[in-house]
Amino acid sequence: MSFLVQSVRHVLRHTTQRTTLTGAMRALSLSPGMHQQNKPAPVVDVAAITKDQQKECQLICDRINQQVAKAEQGRLFAVVHLCGKQFKITPGDIILVEGYWPPTIGDEISLDKVLLAGARDFTIVGRPILEPGLVTVKATVIEKTLTHTKTHFKKKRRKQYMRINFQRSPNTMIRINSIEVTQTVDGTSKAKEDLSRRLF
Amino acid sequence: MSNSHLFLKSGFPRAPLQNGLGRYVCQLQRITLKFCKNNGSSRGMRDFIENHLVDFAKENPGIVVYVKPRRHRTPVLVGEYLNGEREWLNCRNNTKDEISKWIELLKTQNGCSSSLRLRKMWHTDVPSVQGPWTPFLLRSPDANSIEYPNIDASKPLDIPKTATDKLIELFKKQKLEAGDGAEDLLKQKRAE
Repeated sequence: MSFLVQSVRHVLRHTTQRTTLTGAMRALSLSPGMHQQNKPAPVVDVAAITKDQQKECQLICDRINQQVAKAEQGRLFAVVHLCGKQFKITPGDIILVEGYWPPTIGDEISLDKVLLAGARDFTIVGRPILEPGLVTVKATVIEKTLTHTKTHFKKKRRKQYMRINFQRSPNTMIRINSIEVTQTVDGTSKAKEDLSRRLF
Repeated sequence: MSNSHLFLKSGFPRAPLQNGLGRYVCQLQRITLKFCKNNGSSRGMRDFIENHLVDFAKENPGIVVYVKPRRHRTPVLVGEYLNGEREWLNCRNNTKDEISKWIELLKTQNGCSSSLRLRKMWHTDVPSVQGPWTPFLLRSPDANSIEYPNIDASKPLDIPKTATDKLIELFKKQKLEAGDGAEDLLKQKRAE
């Protein structure tokens, strides 16, 4: 099911690329659209995906959109990329970021790199991340603290060498407040406006 | 070498009282700065109190700040938290900046952090939304009705082709390509 959704989105994106960018532009990779999401897309023959397959994909997208519109999808989960790590989260979760990270307690942040979002009946998979604005993940920073004291002990036998270091590194605790699907699943045109504002 | 880690408690990430779900509540309730008015070891603490303490108190109206001078003792920071814990920090010979850093740490944490080793960097109440994976997930239901012992199901999945099989295949392919003309030729040869 998710594969079909993917393939539909792929096809849609492919066609839009065709219309907006010339082949030369793509070869030079100068366009702003050449972000990580749609970098050298593997050439897929549009005709290879048959009509009825497309129709089926559209049907699935419609069913997902219907479910989201009626708020029948239940609890959503997502896989987000945060500070070099991926977390599988659902509303109410606590995750910890290790190392220095500027946000302080009480900050409300939105996690933008969503790799995957899913509910009981469907999964939306990004390649590698979902379109900006499709899924919004809100979170609150609730604690910034230090880890327990870690002992780094080194010793070489018969060499009169011994070192002992103690280390505490910063940790940040984050509470996930909400995960929401905010756009219709097959909408690809809106993403373009936001691309210039995005950092990644 | 230090053996303190042997008896260190370990646990999982928790936040007190569902903090952050509705709104965020600062967990530090009370902070006490103890220092000496004369001693050099309290110099940084005295500087901090002169320059930054009022600003700190104004920025954080939810935190009660006590200042306690005492003669000929090292400066100390004590934080008291909503969960009843109390963290005591020695600030002997610390500079002003170091003290503001430690106060920031006391403010941002939920309790004593030094006494707990975290076993996971993630906590959830709902481990699985779509159900946990099982070996039978997305498998054909035919597998339920198979009776064992079964020859097909017991075969290894990757039997490589033998040389004989490959030869037979090649021969068949040749035959198909050559068509009927080749067969006639073969018959002629056999007749000879």
